[in-house]
Amino acid sequence: MSGDGLVKILDGNTFVVSDSRGDIEASLTDPTGLFSFDTRFLSEWVLTVNGQRLTPLSTDDLQYFETRFFLVPGTGTVYVDSKLSVIRSRAVGNGFHEELKILNHDEKPVDLTIRIDAGSDFADLFEVKDALKKKGSYSARVKDGRLVLGYQRDTFARATDISATAPARVDKKGLTFKARIAPQGEWSTDLDVVTALLGSGEKYDRPKFARPRGRQNMEANLERWLREAPALESEWDSLQQTYRRSLVDLAALRFSPPVTGYHSLPAAGLPWFMTMFGRDSIFTSLQALPFAPSLAATTLRALGDWQGTHLDDFRDEDPGRILHEMRYGELPAFEERPHSPYYGNADATPLYVVLLDEYERWTGDRRLVRDLEHEARAALNWIDEYADLMGNGYISYQRRNEETGLENQCWKDSWDSISYRNGRLAGFPRATCELQGYAYDAKLRGARLAREVWKDPEFAARLERQAAELKRRFNRDFWIEDDEYFALALDTDGKQVDALSSNIGHLLWSGIVDKSKAKAVARHLLGPHLYSGWGVRTLAEGEGRYNPIGYHVGTVWPFDNSFIAWGLRRYGFKEEAAQIASGILEAADFFDGRLPEAFGGYERTLTRYPVQYPTACSPQAWSTGTPLLLLRTMLGLEPVGDLLVVDPALPVGIGHVALLDIPGRWGRVDAFGRGRVSVGEKKRLRQAAQTASG
Amino acid sequence: MADSAAELFGELAERGHDPLLEQVKGTMRFELVDDKRVDRWFLDVDNGDLAVSRKNRQADCTFRADKALFDGIARGDVNATAAVLRGAVAVEGDWTLLVMFQRLLPGPPAGRGRRRNGNNGRRT
Repeated sequence: MSGDGLVKILDGNTFVVSDSRGDIEASLTDPTGLFSFDTRFLSEWVLTVNGQRLTPLSTDDLQYFETRFFLVPGTGTVYVDSKLSVIRSRAVGNGFHEELKILNHDEKPVDLTIRIDAGSDFADLFEVKDALKKKGSYSARVKDGRLVLGYQRDTFARATDISATAPARVDKKGLTFKARIAPQGEWSTDLDVVTALLGSGEKYDRPKFARPRGRQNMEANLERWLREAPALESEWDSLQQTYRRSLVDLAALRFSPPVTGYHSLPAAGLPWFMTMFGRDSIFTSLQALPFAPSLAATTLRALGDWQGTHLDDFRDEDPGRILHEMRYGELPAFEERPHSPYYGNADATPLYVVLLDEYERWTGDRRLVRDLEHEARAALNWIDEYADLMGNGYISYQRRNEETGLENQCWKDSWDSISYRNGRLAGFPRATCELQGYAYDAKLRGARLAREVWKDPEFAARLERQAAELKRRFNRDFWIEDDEYFALALDTDGKQVDALSSNIGHLLWSGIVDKSKAKAVARHLLGPHLYSGWGVRTLAEGEGRYNPIGYHVGTVWPFDNSFIAWGLRRYGFKEEAAQIASGILEAADFFDGRLPEAFGGYERTLTRYPVQYPTACSPQAWSTGTPLLLLRTMLGLEPVGDLLVVDPALPVGIGHVALLDIPGRWGRVDAFGRGRVSVGEKKRLRQAAQTASG
Repeated sequence: MADSAAELFGELAERGHDPLLEQVKGTMRFELVDDKRVDRWFLDVDNGDLAVSRKNRQADCTFRADKALFDGIARGDVNATAAVLRGAVAVEGDWTLLVMFQRLLPGPPAGRGRRRNGNNGRRT
């Protein structure tokens, strides 16, 4: 159960959000319901026994796809003295399956009227967020003892099919059961709710697929997933817990879009972002490469399939551009939103090439690199041909869809994220610094692939020349001489947008920073303005727009920190990387191993615990991937040729760490390390963490 | 009114090869419904080689829609993915082929993305 009192279970992009009784009573703006393919298929699902609502005793989250509610009839009493127990066991499949069981603990038989009220508003996810009105018409029919709810707008049709195994009186608003339960006896029924997306001219008759994935199937699938990942041994229990939590959450976040032949890629977050996102899927695949490399393969294939080929202003699409977000609901269908798919991001395209290269370095899968040669070349071409909006040799962004497109097309996508030190916002187009780092890295990695796999040394040489030239210009144009860090962006006049931000850490990861400047960058990252004691803030304390609970202007993002740690290692700052890793992993301890999307940028000594940023989405894919990348960083795992090099730099206090059976082109190998790097107040603070969580 | 579908398939037959589909193998069947009449087209893709025919055969992906709607898709006026999402097109079989097929289509008419050499889009 999540902190908001709502219970969420899911399978792929089908998920159920209910209250702690298992009931759903959604309004247009309320986020409960059964959702699939970005449409709400149930907005009402309320159980009563003899006209009474129920009271929850407890909820068991069995797995991410199933949950069990223990209930008793009646509400509002101080204590419960019931002769009846009600158990609802619910598993998500194609829709959901619910087993409803009522136990009579009395010595006398009992007569019950059990009622499920059901209804659907068929809201699009975007409508739930923005409270928009529906344009189509609704229907409810009783057919062969089933209740079929429908929605139709022009050719767009969705249906929800509800049926039960026990005899029921079915009307257009639900199902009623009459039961006599013997003393110490029980009554039960199975309820099936099946969602249907209907094609052109299809009349809804009966569900095409009922329960396609049995519970046991899903359990076996999860077990296999965990078995295939490397095993972690550590004296630090909290790290073990965080690692397991990450693997299970990553399993939950797997999503198989219709074009991937049932292979999975990481969706962005649960529940509202269970879809393909270019940036999130790529970053998470990068983080998970040493642990679950198959995610990267699917991400590369699926994003490659959908790579832009046209100039489409509504979708902000260009040839070669990697998509930002794909949605399947009514609003994209009628082009009231551009997500079919939407391409408005400036980073996923170079990052696509980065992932392809990193994937090959780990797995040795050259076939995929050959298969995606065209896509990778088109992505590299996009950097030069379509992304240089200001003609100054830098990637910048400005949306062409001014109504429903995204203003900020970098990962810090909120309205106030790109500012000068004095707080003034930069105009458009904006060339944020990390984009140039990604472009540099993409060119060098593309060059390696061109030389070694595509056998095109000329192209490789050209990319290397461009990369070297880009690095030279970048270190001149973005470097703020007096304060010794890189500007957040260049504005439309080519002037520096001079706020101090976490983006400079990504620059280390990309390798675009001159060696002579790296030390100053590392000093800033771990300095008092950026480093909170838990992690690096998105925006430095002291900047005009700094706010410790501002989404991208002061909070600490675990994902951001994982790439910063990787960057620090790349430049040889082992201790600094270990410090970042230990701070974030200690924070994870406060969240039972599940790192939130972001937490407050307050000084660690001030709050003593990381203050979670309020957000509806948890787990978030790239937060889930963070402990994995931090493990890689701390152990210093680096593929070199056909070998995996291990060069541990673990914080003192973490003790002994072993990561066993790391998959890759070497087969499977083990990595061992022991905490030897001193990161300051470690011991005392870990003690505090244990007390607070215990 | 011009038969945009026929024009598109004629153009694809003439094109003969498209590098954007060099990893693709498969047959698409198009059923274009015009009142009571159904126009059938088949497109074979063999590692980028394109062959158009009207002879009935097995297909890996079937695409069924009103002829008028498909004419719009063929001209670049109607977005095929959005049409599929709203149920205006029925797709059976391998969806990847449909995604790949879209690479062959002209883009929307008013695309004004910036390109450094000033040439907007592939086929303007």
